[in-house]
Amino acid sequence: MEIVNDVRDNLLAQIAASDTPRDVLKSANLKKLYSQITTLPAAERGAYGKTINELKLELEAAINLREQVLDDATVEPLDVTAPWDKNASVADLLPTEFGSQHPLTTELDNIIDIFTRMGFEAIESRQVDDDQHMFATLNFHENHPARDGYDTFRTEEGFIPPAHTSTMQNRILKAGKAKLEAGGQIAAISYGRVYRNEDVDATHEHTFYQCEGVFVSKGANLGQMLGTLRSFFETYYGQKLKIKTQPGYFPFVEPGLEFAIEKPAALGGKPGEWLEMLGCGMIHPNVLKAAGIDPEVYRGFAWGGGVERLVMLKYGIEDLRHFESGKLAFLRKFL
Amino acid sequence: MIVSINWLKQFTSISMPIDQLATLIGARLVEIEEVIDLDAKYKDALVVKVVSASKIEGSDHLNLVMIDDGGVTADITRDDNNLIQVVCGAPNIQSNQTVVWLPPTSVVPKTYGTAEPFVLDSRQLRGYISNGMIASANELDLSDDHEGILVLSDDIKAGTKLTAVLSLDDQLLDIENKSLTHRPDCFGIIGFAREVAAIQGQNFTTPEWLDSKTPLSERMVADEVKLEVAIDNPEMSERYLAVVMSEGNGGRQSPIFIQSYLSRVGVRPINAIVDVTNYLMMLTGQPLHAFDYDKVLELSGGKAEIHVRAGQDGEELLLLDGRTIKLTVDDIVIAAGDKAIALAGAMGGQQTAIDATTKRIIIESATFNLYNLRSTQMRHGIFSEAITRFTKGQPAQLALPVLKMAVQLMHDWSGAALISQIAEAYPNPSQEIKIDFTVDRINQTLGSKYDEKTITDTLTNVEFEVESLGDGALRATVPYWRADIHIVEDIVEEIGRLNGFDNVEPTLAERDFTAVRPSTFDGFRGKVRDALVRAGANEVLTYSFIHGDILRKSGQDLANSYRIINSISPDLQYYRQTLTPSLLELVHPNTKQGYADFALFEINKTHQKQTGLTDESVPVETDMLALVVSGKIKLPGAAYYRAKRLLDFVCSSLGVEVEYLPMTETKEQAISAPFEYRRSAMVVNKQSGALIGVVGEYTKAVSKAFKLPDYIAGFEVYSRELFAAPKLGGYKPLSRYPASERDICFQVDANTAYKSVIDATNEALSTITLETQVTPVDIYRADGSTTKNITIRVKLTAHDHTLIGDEVNQAVNKIADAVKTATGAKVI
Repeated sequence: MEIVNDVRDNLLAQIAASDTPRDVLKSANLKKLYSQITTLPAAERGAYGKTINELKLELEAAINLREQVLDDATVEPLDVTAPWDKNASVADLLPTEFGSQHPLTTELDNIIDIFTRMGFEAIESRQVDDDQHMFATLNFHENHPARDGYDTFRTEEGFIPPAHTSTMQNRILKAGKAKLEAGGQIAAISYGRVYRNEDVDATHEHTFYQCEGVFVSKGANLGQMLGTLRSFFETYYGQKLKIKTQPGYFPFVEPGLEFAIEKPAALGGKPGEWLEMLGCGMIHPNVLKAAGIDPEVYRGFAWGGGVERLVMLKYGIEDLRHFESGKLAFLRKFL
Repeated sequence: MIVSINWLKQFTSISMPIDQLATLIGARLVEIEEVIDLDAKYKDALVVKVVSASKIEGSDHLNLVMIDDGGVTADITRDDNNLIQVVCGAPNIQSNQTVVWLPPTSVVPKTYGTAEPFVLDSRQLRGYISNGMIASANELDLSDDHEGILVLSDDIKAGTKLTAVLSLDDQLLDIENKSLTHRPDCFGIIGFAREVAAIQGQNFTTPEWLDSKTPLSERMVADEVKLEVAIDNPEMSERYLAVVMSEGNGGRQSPIFIQSYLSRVGVRPINAIVDVTNYLMMLTGQPLHAFDYDKVLELSGGKAEIHVRAGQDGEELLLLDGRTIKLTVDDIVIAAGDKAIALAGAMGGQQTAIDATTKRIIIESATFNLYNLRSTQMRHGIFSEAITRFTKGQPAQLALPVLKMAVQLMHDWSGAALISQIAEAYPNPSQEIKIDFTVDRINQTLGSKYDEKTITDTLTNVEFEVESLGDGALRATVPYWRADIHIVEDIVEEIGRLNGFDNVEPTLAERDFTAVRPSTFDGFRGKVRDALVRAGANEVLTYSFIHGDILRKSGQDLANSYRIINSISPDLQYYRQTLTPSLLELVHPNTKQGYADFALFEINKTHQKQTGLTDESVPVETDMLALVVSGKIKLPGAAYYRAKRLLDFVCSSLGVEVEYLPMTETKEQAISAPFEYRRSAMVVNKQSGALIGVVGEYTKAVSKAFKLPDYIAGFEVYSRELFAAPKLGGYKPLSRYPASERDICFQVDANTAYKSVIDATNEALSTITLETQVTPVDIYRADGSTTKNITIRVKLTAHDHTLIGDEVNQAVNKIADAVKTATGAKVI
């Protein structure tokens, strides 16, 4: 073992001084240590082998460190205030025909534009929130079975990456209360990323985009909700559309519905083919109360749906995973 | 959840084709995922008579059987007596039995719809032709019983289809029950039938026995043994009922039609006692549980005394599935005396399990707090038909009638007899809920025009009691099984739903004409996006969560990231602190795909613990913009300048001006961590000095870790800071006089910053009353030289006269002097 220590000190010193520290691994001294294994009695081989291995790891670490130091010393500082490098000229942009906007942000722009023109303010949703906004103010009792459906992530601190854009609803209601009480209405959409703790495949993602809408006034009713949603989809697809609903259960609305449109001709739809688009309903009185709005005086409706589905249908995208893949092969299809 | 149409028909009539019914249920109650045609599975199975059965010589178990199919089967070989020959290996085959025959070309029901359906034929067995087979209950997929063939009662005629005998001419609805979590009643066939009646506009009447007031029939009142029950924690259980039954015939099977119903909805028939509990659960939604009475007696010290209480810390329980679990105070426990014997609503314990030695059983019918049960379910990982129903919140009123029916059926099916009184704990009996509302209120919320009669009829169809209070005011008494109905909005839903939401006329919301102004920050982001797309860059979106290794590779401190504790994937461990690491991850794969020249950018939010919490006590979110530009082939000049050029392009598109300063501080901040400080600049707000972001090349360690090409650089900026950057000077009127341009070349030390030349120039020009513009022309450094030449172009314009040579010379001299003083430059 003494010999091993000597070789170690020697090799470490060599590494510290070398410009090509990796060469030290080829040292004859080191090879000699390896070859000695076979000469030892079987009982000692294990311990010896372990020592040699440790030595090798130690040398590797020292080499990496030394290489980093050498690398670092070769960094040539730049005049970062200059417009271009010495003996060069101004750098080119990339060919403009390479450039592309992500199809999801393109479609969000589109959606926001339509709702803005319909009188809805657009607010980006948060990407980390708390139980209060994600569940409690939305009439989800702690341990409520409906919470299961959301498969939420949690941080160490108990924060929640929101599983729906409704996480903004209480904020929107509180912010709009004054306008509502002054005789106006609350009309807003919230859009952004949501997260579900689930395995990823062609039709499932743990990260996706939603768009949510809220409307509160003295006279809001379910017929208006159906009309407003139909109007949005008719504008989006540029044609008259049939709609249908089915009861749905979401604790923050009562009644709650699932909303479908007849598949538009633009998407190759035939009569009788339906596309489920979103969940919606009349805002539960407890949700209005949580924002300090009197449910005896005001009523509201709300809805929320995924954005990816619209984009996939529009372009015929086959795999949900493409969106967050960052593959140029995908991105440059949207020039 | 599977619902059998034939089972439904026992409680309500169905007046339309099943497809149409499924659509209507979809629109008014719950999504039907699939309608399964059971008839197809059993269509060929025939009831036949065994005319003779004789042992085949040389075989220890095979019989040669002649069957009478009533002559209904075509294309089959028959003997002179019109009988069909089958070889059968079942030990219980005897002549004169009534059995089920599966003819050749039919599929064995057990294998129907599987990957390998077994198609029968006529084949030789021991030298005898065997046509099809005589089936066991297992082969018919009715129960696990494969001890022998299924024997039916003798009064069924040969040639009758099995579907007719067991009402297997059935269709099954596969229900998406996730959207029924608020409807415990619909987890039983009777509750579901009530809805099916109502959505067809029919009145429904619940079977009389489910009325909790019906007394137990006289012959079942007994007082042979004692049983006491108590609820120690009333918030955990609303009602607890139990009775003791004598040993019946434990091995006895329940009637075949019950087995048939159970198996088609996915419950395996076991024996009469177990089948009773399952049958009643499927019928009503109320789970039942059985304990061995004598074992309970022994555990509680000779006195059968059951307690419902909270688990105690440190208490352990050996479950039926062999696991020993540690109880918590949130678990609801059934205890014999003070010993835990079952995890209430979830699973029984081994100590009181029913087994071959069981003589007397306790049947429990109870309700438990659904929130406790849910946490128990998650904590101990227990998923069963029973807990699924309990966690929907079964009503306390259901427990008694179901228990009574259980006693009745166990007696009828297994011969067991009631030997105790019904022991009950029901500390706070449920109160009836009454809801007052008006016709107007319903119509205002729905936007509908239903009259009082329609509203009343809709509710009475599902057994609400409705009382008119005059002037359109109504009072509804909610039936006990509708635990989901508490407020007027719930009544609104019933009316809307049962009459079809699709029958409400869509209109548009009424609002005032105030214009909505799109958010200016959204507009800013749109402009950035447009500029970068025009500059040839590609927008990406990448995950908000990253693997810890990505943070490490980028030189960022893991402790500064919010950590996800329950992620199913190790790739989603931490919130990212900046966008750059996510972009760097994309460079190598795209390069490998053959892309040489590209720029990727992302506009998104990031999160760091360092930035603290908002006044709502949630983490501050930081809007970021990051770009990485990569070239496979080395272009002239350092990559840094290309990234800077792209950022400059963004700034000019936005009409803002930023300043680039050499980076002095290094790894302090997450944003600058991946950048090589000697080849990166800080982007700052010229007016306030605030840091807008970083532009530069990456450290060698980062390059190595992400396998980056040699030519690569990028930037990351705080979007809100860029948004706040000062705008370029506004419009100035054009001069009518020509401008003069002069190039000045300075020789400076190679280490002198370009900025110091420009700053000195601008300083000098600030004292001149002309309109001025300074642009770079050339930066030249000869190989090995210790100096470099910086050439700039100065453009001077007067607005009131044509410039003369002297004026221009004076300005140039001023500049030259200033630059010389500042940098020691030589004008050449």
